[in-house]
Amino acid sequence: MSRLWAIALNTFREAVRDRVLYSILFFGVGVILLSLALSEVTIGDQDKVVRSVAQGAVDLFANIIAMFLGVSLVWKELDQRTIYTVISKPIPRWMFVLGKYLGLMLTLSAEVAILCVVYTGLMIAQQGAPEPVVFVSMGLLMLQLGLLTAWATLFSSYSNPMTATAFTLAVFVIGHLADDIWVYGSQASSPAVQAIARALYWVLPNFELMDIRPWAVHHRPVPTDRIWPALTYGLGYTAAVLAAAAAVFQKKDVK
Amino acid sequence: MSDVPTIHTEGLSKVYRTGFWMRPHIGLRPLDLRVERGQVFGFIGPNGAGKTTTIKILMGIHAATSGSATLMGKDHRDPESRRSVGFMPERPYFYPHLTGAELLDFYGRLCEVPEPTRSQRARALLERVDMSRAADQPLRGYSKGMLQRVGICQALINDPQLVVLDEPMSGLDPLGRALVRDLILEERAAGRTVFFSSHILHDVETMSDAVAILIGGELRSQGSVPTLLGQVSRGLEIALRLPPGHTPADDAAMEAILGGALRHQPDQRALLRLDHDDADRAAAAVAAAGCRLLALTPLRGSLEDLLLSEIERAGGAARGGRP
Repeated sequence: MSRLWAIALNTFREAVRDRVLYSILFFGVGVILLSLALSEVTIGDQDKVVRSVAQGAVDLFANIIAMFLGVSLVWKELDQRTIYTVISKPIPRWMFVLGKYLGLMLTLSAEVAILCVVYTGLMIAQQGAPEPVVFVSMGLLMLQLGLLTAWATLFSSYSNPMTATAFTLAVFVIGHLADDIWVYGSQASSPAVQAIARALYWVLPNFELMDIRPWAVHHRPVPTDRIWPALTYGLGYTAAVLAAAAAVFQKKDVK
Repeated sequence: MSDVPTIHTEGLSKVYRTGFWMRPHIGLRPLDLRVERGQVFGFIGPNGAGKTTTIKILMGIHAATSGSATLMGKDHRDPESRRSVGFMPERPYFYPHLTGAELLDFYGRLCEVPEPTRSQRARALLERVDMSRAADQPLRGYSKGMLQRVGICQALINDPQLVVLDEPMSGLDPLGRALVRDLILEERAAGRTVFFSSHILHDVETMSDAVAILIGGELRSQGSVPTLLGQVSRGLEIALRLPPGHTPADDAAMEAILGGALRHQPDQRALLRLDHDDADRAAAAVAAAGCRLLALTPLRGSLEDLLLSEIERAGGAARGGRP
């Protein structure tokens, strides 16, 4: 475990010493604070608008950082050839992939925690302490980030960042449209289209299953009936994608 | 256990697939290599000979196309076979965001070196390569020579039984080269095995117990340095006593019989260098010229001569090729 932790810690260190991360984080904090200004030009429930924009900002910037760091996670080690001295140590390749992934998740946890603290501070100053459902929603956001990062790790372990970005972005978009794909498929007249839509629905991730942001924005009670299925689905799917990433990297000839 | 070779390969080969059509390109032809425990083993050959490919396969960076290899008796594909191996790649690529001390701590953790041994060893190694002052500076500010030195430290952080160095002298100034030479010899004195590739043949010749020559992905020679160099003939040097009454005016006629130019020495003696190594023919020529043979010394070639002659024998092949 100490070897896994060493790789994770090194990945975390590398990320937190990268100025680009702070730039994205700075913009995230900026947009959360900007939600106050947006509430001024809104008619209706202004508090809800602030919560919606601010939580959306946390969600968006966490996903941007996950994609930005994830797509180059393994590729950077190959490109800079830092991997030579790592896998020449007694390190199985799956441990390298998992360590890199955990390091990135550690970075994302820190980043979501910072955005969450800014959000909480803003709420306390503007409309009182957030409801518990907000924090449960942030926890499920981590689950979504975990799955997206696993996909980015898989793409990064066999392709360059540009290709990996395109694929990860596709997974992100499709993953948020999964329910629409199902509806579209069931309404199609062609059996072939129906079959393709069904296959896509089951193979590609469904991030909406792990999303309770509408509950958090409207301060509704925690939908407990969604939590366990979301956890089971998210963790199981993530483990499967990571296993695929490890298998791909196991066979890879490092150039 | 002592007769288990530190490195042993049997038929180890590598075929790369390159380009859109994945055309095969031979990186390494079936290689049988045996490196004994405690040896300093030099691995030489021209660029593209397959030296780095071999090292990358042994270090788990590349997968072999066929054949097998063991490190200290363990299958090289098992990461545990590298538990007691230290490796420094051809060019020192390290994490620029880490300091020298953090880098060694990281590699020490990967090798599961416990504390406080890890920090003590890191400090001692940095001191040994004269890098203590730069220990807390980020690697992005290091020169190539400094990276090479810290690279050697990371290779030794786990106190390995086998040290694999790919071009360790590359890019080093004379002081750095002397440092690497001393370290290699220290490792040998401590009973460890050092396997290294280098283009600086003089260093390989003076430090190695055995060498292997690789050309065009193929092993051309392997053995102890004296044995291999004994195979390289640079002719004969003959010391002889000239017949009484011989004068420099008679040199031309005598040189025609002997087959080489005379270099006169005091006391009617002369030295003669012949470009063949047939001692009987030389002795017969000396006798036929009426001279007395005083000494006959075969001239030993250098590793450079051996490599050049192997390249010539291989038809000037310097790179791998299609099967």
